[in-house]
Amino acid sequence: MHRRDLIRSAAAAAALAVLPRSAFAADILWQRVAERGPVSSHSKESSLVRALADTIIPRTDTVGALDVNVPAFIDVMVNEHYTGQDRDAFNAGLIAIDALAVRVGGDAFAALNAERRALVMSALEQPTNRTDPAARTYARLKGLVVHGYFTSEAVQQQVLGVDVIPGTFSGDAPLRTRSRPGGSDD
Amino acid sequence: MTERLQTYDAIVVGSGISGGWAVKELTERGLRTLVLEAGGPIDPTKDFAEHVQPYEMKFRGWGDREAMAREQPVQRECYACDEVGRKFFVNDIENPYTNPDDAPFKWFRGRQVGGRSIMWGRQVYRWSDLDFTANARDGHGIDWPIRYADIAPWYSHVERFIGVTGAPEGLAQLPDGEFLPPMEMTVVEREAREKILRHFGGERVLTIGRAAILTQNHNGRAACHYCGPCERGCVTHSYFNSLGSTLPAAEATGKLTLRPHSVVAEVLLNKDTGRARGVRVIDAQTREEIEFNARIIFLCASTIESVRLLLNSTSSQHPNGLANSSGTVGQYVMDHHYGSGASGVMPGHLDKRTVGRRPNGIYLARFRNVSTPHPEFVRGYGMQGGSGRSGWNRGGSLPGYGAQFKESLIDELGPWTINIGGWGETLPVAANHIALDPTVKDAWGVPAARISVKWGDNERAMQKDIMASGVETLEAAGAINVRPYGSIQPPGHCIHEMGGARMGHNARDSVLNSWNQAWDVPNLFITDGACMTSSACQNPSITYMALTARAVARAVELLDRREL
Repeated sequence: MHRRDLIRSAAAAAALAVLPRSAFAADILWQRVAERGPVSSHSKESSLVRALADTIIPRTDTVGALDVNVPAFIDVMVNEHYTGQDRDAFNAGLIAIDALAVRVGGDAFAALNAERRALVMSALEQPTNRTDPAARTYARLKGLVVHGYFTSEAVQQQVLGVDVIPGTFSGDAPLRTRSRPGGSDD
Repeated sequence: MTERLQTYDAIVVGSGISGGWAVKELTERGLRTLVLEAGGPIDPTKDFAEHVQPYEMKFRGWGDREAMAREQPVQRECYACDEVGRKFFVNDIENPYTNPDDAPFKWFRGRQVGGRSIMWGRQVYRWSDLDFTANARDGHGIDWPIRYADIAPWYSHVERFIGVTGAPEGLAQLPDGEFLPPMEMTVVEREAREKILRHFGGERVLTIGRAAILTQNHNGRAACHYCGPCERGCVTHSYFNSLGSTLPAAEATGKLTLRPHSVVAEVLLNKDTGRARGVRVIDAQTREEIEFNARIIFLCASTIESVRLLLNSTSSQHPNGLANSSGTVGQYVMDHHYGSGASGVMPGHLDKRTVGRRPNGIYLARFRNVSTPHPEFVRGYGMQGGSGRSGWNRGGSLPGYGAQFKESLIDELGPWTINIGGWGETLPVAANHIALDPTVKDAWGVPAARISVKWGDNERAMQKDIMASGVETLEAAGAINVRPYGSIQPPGHCIHEMGGARMGHNARDSVLNSWNQAWDVPNLFITDGACMTSSACQNPSITYMALTARAVARAVELLDRREL
């Protein structure tokens, strides 16, 4: 790992909780990101939400979060299901996540390459303070990504192979493997 | 007021679990019977939604929060009032009730043909003489006027018709029924059962849940296909509800008239004879008021609705409500207290999983105060639970992201977890009561119920013991990381509300005699949960069904003898 990355990594670990924005030369960059205007899901399927969804559940030999339109589901949940208070907190957290990305990775999350995204993700996955706005929004968003992905039609049918009408119950069945898709029944 | 008058042999108020049984038994005995249902009709082919998949729901099963907050602020707290199931629950704005600020009460209910039998939990357990003698033995409440021998044949009668899956265990406190084959326990439930039996010397018995679900074709209904969410309906009628079982049986007699959208506002009295002559109905759609008359009337509107109806039926002879010469109408209201238990991880068996979604759990039969008195409380509790391995839905709290994270959610399952929670008996207390709210009325102008029920020391002591014994039981079962959980839910939340028009030995301190017949109004029968004299700890619906069938047999016998 390069020295610069080490510094970023250390910053990532601490950034969520303690470091003021002005501690970074990237302050101006952050301003630019913020001014890009709402990093929130008010702007349908914001680039940040898309990038996070794609990072959490990427396309592999099976479809990824973007293939099954998880950001559209998140948009519905945030704008039509959340309370106003939850929506505001969620959106504020999105701004905080991009601010973190600027500090740790040097640009908005969506503009970062995989290596730099990993630094930001590391800070989001292991925050020093779980009540921080960025950490809270990330936790909620991850839950939405997982739920939106696994409840999509393509994943239910083609990846999990959910049998809507099993016709039988066994509490002692052999574990399935990928040769027969599906790990869980729901 | 009255714009039409129609006369039947019998009127049944309510088309749910109890009402369906009343109308089946009445029509099969040749009585022209009118069943009045406050809600609208249900078409199973269109309205049942058990096969709706998450991707077919806008909020993927998480519900229309805004609509529910607006229309169903109470109902939404019930697990079954979900994104598709909410249509089976009432609109709380149209159907208000009140409670004192210091006595929160949850009243979950449905108004439709089939009532709550569409969304019920389907668990059915016979009561025993441990239950029917409980009040007499410890002095809480009054003695039941019946014993197990009085109701046992009627339990059989009901079980043979509805179909009950279960495993016989030979327990005196939880009598066996006429069971269809039991559902399968999971590999860890079997292990837990054996270890618990050994550890407690047979005193604690973990059995598969006894449920009104078919494990083989039965009475023209198909066996369960294990799709999972019974509470959303069942197009194959594989679990019992009145819509697919008792109401069709009644219809087949040619004696049934079913009138939906019929809000019964009052039971009308014949002042000369002192008997009920009929009911005053408000058409829920047109607001038209209609009177229907009959020789006998069965109230099966649900515990709180039947009590509310009695209290709303006042006259010079019954100034405090119909059938209330004892003053006990509305009193001694009970529910089961629940919310506490324990959960843990069952090690091993990682090469095994479940296939199919078993709509049934496991049941730990009551073991407290069965043979040895407990120092801190009277009565007892049963424990209900289940086991399984989590799938992708553990992903929200699982560390990680990216390809490996995704693959692990697709390919791997969490460890086997097991949980058991207590359903406890509630003591009958006069202060726990239903009255009429002095100002609040429902959308049809009928005074609303004001419900005042609080848990007492006995219930709280039992909840504490449930946590401790839950941990002890699961540890004996071989579970690790066992943790108690405890958050006693407010009264009503268990949806086992009972009492308010209790059965008893005499007219001085009870509303109904041993045949569910009102002491004061001989042609009035109340056979829903309102009739209950104590609560036991078993899920009560099968007892309502058995008491209903028994009461109909008696009523028709009295009619035949011209004593009614």
